[in-house]
Amino acid sequence: MTTAWRGAWRRLAGSPWLFAGPAVAAAILFVWLPMASTLGLSFFDWSLLRQEATWRGLDHYRGTLANPDFHLALVNTGVYLAALLPLQVGIPLVLAFALVRVKAKATGRLYRTALFAPSVLSFPVAAVVWLWLFNPTVGFLNTLGGAVGLPPQRWLTDPDIAIWSVIIVAFWKSFGLNLLIFLAALANVPTDVTEAARIDGASPLRQAIDIELPLISPALFFAVVTTIIVVLDEIVGAVDVLTEGGPYRTSSNLLYFLYERGFRHFQFGEAAAVAVLIAAIVAGVTWAQFRFGERHVHYD
Amino acid sequence: MRFRHGSQIVLHIAFIVACLATLFPLVWMLRTAFAPPHDVFRATMSLWPENATLANFTAAFRLHPVGTWFVNSVVVAGAITFGKLAVSVPAAFAFAVMSFRGRDAVFALVVGTMTVPYVITLLPTYVAVASIGLYDTLTGVVVPAIGHCGFVVFFLRQAFKALPRELFEAARIDGAGPWRQMLTIALPNIWGAVAAMAVLSFLGAWNLYLWPHLILDSTEHKTLSIGLKLFATTGEQGGDWGPLMATALLAALPVVLLYLMAQRQLVSAFATSGIR
Repeated sequence: MTTAWRGAWRRLAGSPWLFAGPAVAAAILFVWLPMASTLGLSFFDWSLLRQEATWRGLDHYRGTLANPDFHLALVNTGVYLAALLPLQVGIPLVLAFALVRVKAKATGRLYRTALFAPSVLSFPVAAVVWLWLFNPTVGFLNTLGGAVGLPPQRWLTDPDIAIWSVIIVAFWKSFGLNLLIFLAALANVPTDVTEAARIDGASPLRQAIDIELPLISPALFFAVVTTIIVVLDEIVGAVDVLTEGGPYRTSSNLLYFLYERGFRHFQFGEAAAVAVLIAAIVAGVTWAQFRFGERHVHYD
Repeated sequence: MRFRHGSQIVLHIAFIVACLATLFPLVWMLRTAFAPPHDVFRATMSLWPENATLANFTAAFRLHPVGTWFVNSVVVAGAITFGKLAVSVPAAFAFAVMSFRGRDAVFALVVGTMTVPYVITLLPTYVAVASIGLYDTLTGVVVPAIGHCGFVVFFLRQAFKALPRELFEAARIDGAGPWRQMLTIALPNIWGAVAAMAVLSFLGAWNLYLWPHLILDSTEHKTLSIGLKLFATTGEQGGDWGPLMATALLAALPVVLLYLMAQRQLVSAFATSGIR
């Protein structure tokens, strides 16, 4: 090989694009391109079998927005959010504040390990474990309830209760992540700040609320985002295993509605419109969070 | 923190109660998995069955191809982890230490995937996978999942950036090309970050639900996560709870063990994902 060739080869092999190219290609091919296609698909009727498209304009959006099942899914998603946001942010926050005040550090780590354990499981595994606890005849919950004189509940088939059962499972399976986020943030709070407050005679509660809470507000903000992701996205694994959205769609949510339209009824155009609407809601909530965050979150 | 001795005791009691409550469903899964069949259908509150047995595990393997599901899960999670790292490590290296035109734009393109809810990619990806004949194959599940590597690239770039530049200067003077610099100099210094991302990717891939559920159709191609749903819904009336809990235990075991072994790396990875 001549030196010129070798030089060219070396330049090619050392090109930054050879390093970054595969990741860029994967991001475009599997994220950005499908995202654009979903938007396009939502304006068409499209069948996987015939592979032909008919222009429908905004019909799928109109149809979806007028669909009572969609309304129910939307309202349920609101219920999931309204229940899980305070639970998933509040309880881990209290646990984190308490955990950093445990003086025996090794024991504290043990608590953290135990509290985070369910969070490494998948939603279907968590759901199956609870499916058994919820069993109306021999499940543990009704056995326990019976022992203290409570009537047995139909945890997953009573329309008034089913969604709350899914909420319990979702909380159990995912509060640990927010706990870790808060603990990491609290570990970064400089000790001289809390020390100064302590010397000034602030009670532990005042220290937590007046000093630590503002300092970890970015983490608080992020915990809200992770919870929204759980509700709009991951929870579908629990819904599908526990209730299949039932009874009478009372525990369905937006993603489950999309799954039904797209993959049970194969209405791809309509499902694409639902996907766009979900993404718009996620984007809207995130944007609102950022707007709110900019004014109230203390980044430092 | 100023807490008197007594309040420390209250704190410990509260945490012990919280931990027991959190772990209880897992204990109950274990108990049922090892309980003899007649014991499962007894309404009971005893924490451990008399005559613990492995019968539920053999029954699970008889009822469904649980062994195949387990292997499929390992293959899918392993391949996604490997694929993500294979594209992310060089990309992160390029974004961290090389300078080239369009770098920042391309970096935004890759890391921006973190902000895209995967719901909106689901349908076209499904159609594409189906139309190139990868429906109902593990390859069809694995390949598109590699595209969601934004966080891995972001995290590894931070790790590469933290290395001193002199490290690379010295190597360059010695005539090492960028690939050698990455593999022999940079990578050995950031093994902790790579391990954290490997564990995080493996956990995420092991726990995937909707995507493999859409792509994998035949019983023997399923992964454990989606096989569980099949198992839970096809049991006779009354359900095969013992074998089902044995299968759930098999699905939980690898990730729980991984978590216990790599807890430090995982916590740092999750914590960063929170600060980002």
